[in-house]
Amino acid sequence: MKELTKIEEILLLAIWRLKEDAYGVKIRKYVSQIIDKDFTYGNLYSALSQLSKKKYVRKTIGETTPDRRGRRKIYYTVSPEGVKALKTAREMNEKMWEGVSDYAFD
Amino acid sequence: MKRRRYHPPRIAGWILKNTARYEENFAIIGDFDEEFHEVVREKGASFARLWYWRHCVRSLPIFIKDSVYWSFIMFRNYLKIAFRSIKKHKGYSFINISGLAIGMAVCILILMWVLNELSYDKFHEKADRICRVTMDLEVGSTLHTPVTLTAVGPALVRDFPEVIYSTRMLPPNRVAVKYEDKLFQEARVGYAENAVFDIFTFPFVSGDPKTALEAPYTVVITESMAEKYFGGEDPLGKILRFNNERDFSVTGIVKDIPSNSHFRFNMLCSFQTFIKEGDASDDQWFDVRFYTYLLLDENADVKKLEQKLPDFLDKYVGEALKASGGSIQLSLQPLKRIHLYSDFERDMSANSDITYVYLFSGIALFVLLIAGINFINLSTARSATRAQEVGMRKTLGAVRSRLIGQFLGESLIYSFLSMVLALVLLKLSLPLFNSLIGRELSMNFIQTPWLLVAILGMAIVVGFFAGSYPAFFLSSFQPVRVLKGLLKVGASNSRFRRILVVLQFAISIALIIGTLIVYKQILFMKNTKLGFNKEHVVVIPRMNDAIRKSYHSIRGELLNLQGVIDVGASDLVPSRGHLIGSFLPEGFPDDQRQTMDYMNVDTHYIPAMGMEIIAGRNFSEDFATDQDDSVLINETAAKKFGWEDPVGKRFVFRPPPGREGETTYVSVIGLIKDFHLQSLRERINPLVIFYDYDNLFSVSIRLAPDNITNTMELLKKKWGELDPNRPFNYFFLDDAYDSQYRTEERLKNITFYFSFLAIFIGCLGLFGMASFTAEQRTKEIGIRKVLGASVPGLVRLLAKEFIILVVVANLIAWPVAYWAMNRWLQSFAYRTGINPLIFVISAVLALSIALFTVSYQAIRIALSNPVDALRYE
Repeated sequence: MKELTKIEEILLLAIWRLKEDAYGVKIRKYVSQIIDKDFTYGNLYSALSQLSKKKYVRKTIGETTPDRRGRRKIYYTVSPEGVKALKTAREMNEKMWEGVSDYAFD
Repeated sequence: MKRRRYHPPRIAGWILKNTARYEENFAIIGDFDEEFHEVVREKGASFARLWYWRHCVRSLPIFIKDSVYWSFIMFRNYLKIAFRSIKKHKGYSFINISGLAIGMAVCILILMWVLNELSYDKFHEKADRICRVTMDLEVGSTLHTPVTLTAVGPALVRDFPEVIYSTRMLPPNRVAVKYEDKLFQEARVGYAENAVFDIFTFPFVSGDPKTALEAPYTVVITESMAEKYFGGEDPLGKILRFNNERDFSVTGIVKDIPSNSHFRFNMLCSFQTFIKEGDASDDQWFDVRFYTYLLLDENADVKKLEQKLPDFLDKYVGEALKASGGSIQLSLQPLKRIHLYSDFERDMSANSDITYVYLFSGIALFVLLIAGINFINLSTARSATRAQEVGMRKTLGAVRSRLIGQFLGESLIYSFLSMVLALVLLKLSLPLFNSLIGRELSMNFIQTPWLLVAILGMAIVVGFFAGSYPAFFLSSFQPVRVLKGLLKVGASNSRFRRILVVLQFAISIALIIGTLIVYKQILFMKNTKLGFNKEHVVVIPRMNDAIRKSYHSIRGELLNLQGVIDVGASDLVPSRGHLIGSFLPEGFPDDQRQTMDYMNVDTHYIPAMGMEIIAGRNFSEDFATDQDDSVLINETAAKKFGWEDPVGKRFVFRPPPGREGETTYVSVIGLIKDFHLQSLRERINPLVIFYDYDNLFSVSIRLAPDNITNTMELLKKKWGELDPNRPFNYFFLDDAYDSQYRTEERLKNITFYFSFLAIFIGCLGLFGMASFTAEQRTKEIGIRKVLGASVPGLVRLLAKEFIILVVVANLIAWPVAYWAMNRWLQSFAYRTGINPLIFVISAVLALSIALFTVSYQAIRIALSNPVDALRYE
């Protein structure tokens, strides 16, 4: 299994946290908030298509709203493989930061 | 409350839709729209628009990057599928690709040749404004030639403001050139006035183009000559010795002359040399030796200028012409037309002919057409197997346009593969082709990028056209009918396929007939009795003055050599030009002078060449009067003048107009049997032969047929002693004579190779077709066999269909070929007849090749065990 890139990790986590509400607009806003920058749709969908190709996320076609002018949403959910990848990423992160005190870089 | 709805920017929306090529495309635009409306509510419409645009632009790079990446992956996938299908149907693919590749290679070759032909003389910067003066001289009969009156050039510049420069030129000639210890025979030494550098574009490497040829005894040489004679030294000011007679000082070096120039020189000497030696002058009208080129003003109209020429000529030579009873007409030939549109006598170089450009282009297109037909034929024939596929695809939802796209794409892949193979073939065959056409073409895409463009274009066009019929045909299948087995594939398009096969073979057969007739004409020309014996004659042209003076003793010395049978001298040699004059046979009125060829010989020339005196006698040293008062004439002359017994008849020589003198007469002392002074393209002209020791430039030496190598060694050694300052320069008369037919030889070779290729490609197609037919009829054959059909009977059954096609093709090809070849033969004064046997031969050839091709498949299927064929079901 390949390691997740940072952006994939953030995205997967976002999808997992957003639960029932994980579609384009919401994911983008959530991620923008986390990274404190305006995350573009380009980066979002480029990464999402990679994730779904790796089978870390599943897609379901959802409803539409008047604002969307008839275009349906695509909802994303984290697949079991995705969850496993998230776990691995977390372990790696923890291992990486182990023993580094919170004040180390002050 | 009704909220006003805002529309997101349309253009940005359109861009998004077309760049975000993900499966999620619709969701992305939906997301954009949703957020847009949110922003509208929060911050207003204009801000939202800005937001939309900003996000669109910022997302674009990554969308585009991904889209390119994916289409590349798709393309790779597509290629993979196509290659798989190519691999799966190896035989079919081989036939298709190799056929197309050969067709393309031929086409590209011809394209290169045609473009080279069309590029002639265009490298001159002022090519559009350059023309050459040509002349129609009429004295009894006409002489159509680019050689013109010596004074014409300077007079034109003087009289017409639109003529800016003129130069007279002497065509590149052979000269022995010596510098210190280096002595070479140079083939391209010409003469020109200094204006030649104002008119033509010959870039100088060193020297001054303004003055290089102003003085007599100066010469401008090309870079490769400078290297050859002077190596690293500076050539300027060095002295070259020509023919051991004259010294020329080098005043300029120019870049080598491109091969696509109608005249090419290695050395160009100053025309002033002639003037200095009193051999030419600016007011010498009745002297016809030089070629005149003009540079016209930018606004000059060639046609208008041409119309003024009769008056111009009348002013200078009108009276003289009236007195002699002849007429001269001058014309202007644009430089760019010289190479392809010249039909002159005594032209500077053997030019090409636009007819051949059309002819070969036509043949090349035909070969490509044949290959394209193959492709179409095989694809439609294969529809039997592919119909199921198409039906299946359609049932699963493929739309027709998709299918058309797929088939076209496939054929494009085939055609591009063929193109690659064609380029390989081209690389391999270029040397052969170059030797066939006598050119130096090269595949240089850096120098000629358009060639690459043309080749790519050809691949696309061929792929598209060859693919379009199968694409539209196959995609039109109705899935229900196909899958139910209702569509009897092959029957519906078999007529179309038959027509194509007939067309293919008709072209091939016509080419075979053409080749055979050209070949026969060449054989005819080479084997026709010329009236003299051209075999085993060595000619040493252009003796220098010293040798000529001591010719008598030299002849004796040559005769003493072992293997030398006879030696004669003449001013010109058969096949190497002819001289034309107008003569007044006694009994004709003064204004009916007769145009005749004439030549000068010594007493030994006629017996040495094996020419035959029919009546009277040859010149003899025993008769003192022979030199001045006697001539020989040929049969044609005697017939033309109505002289039944020509011996004793006389020619009248009046003193030149305006000069005092007595009328003199020369008498005919002998009648010589007609012989071909020129190639068999030309009719035998009336000929008068003089006996004149002062004008003999060439020695013809008849050798004993055995041990010629040895004799040549002796001869070379002896000649080296006699004329030490020039390299031994000689040619064999039969070679010289045969080399006149080089154009025909080339034509024969090219049509031979083309017809071979056409037949080959046609057979590839036939083979493919036969194998598909055989495949389709496997069961039928099986049943027939079970019911007792014999193998030969089955083969006949299978082959019959194709044989009929070839027979029909013959019937079409015959009249076309007959018409075309008959026209071609008309250009020869002496020609072979079109033998019906040739048609029979080509028919038999085509039939047997077709039969051979088809019967392999037929026999294979007929021999197969019926059990295998019937076991299915």
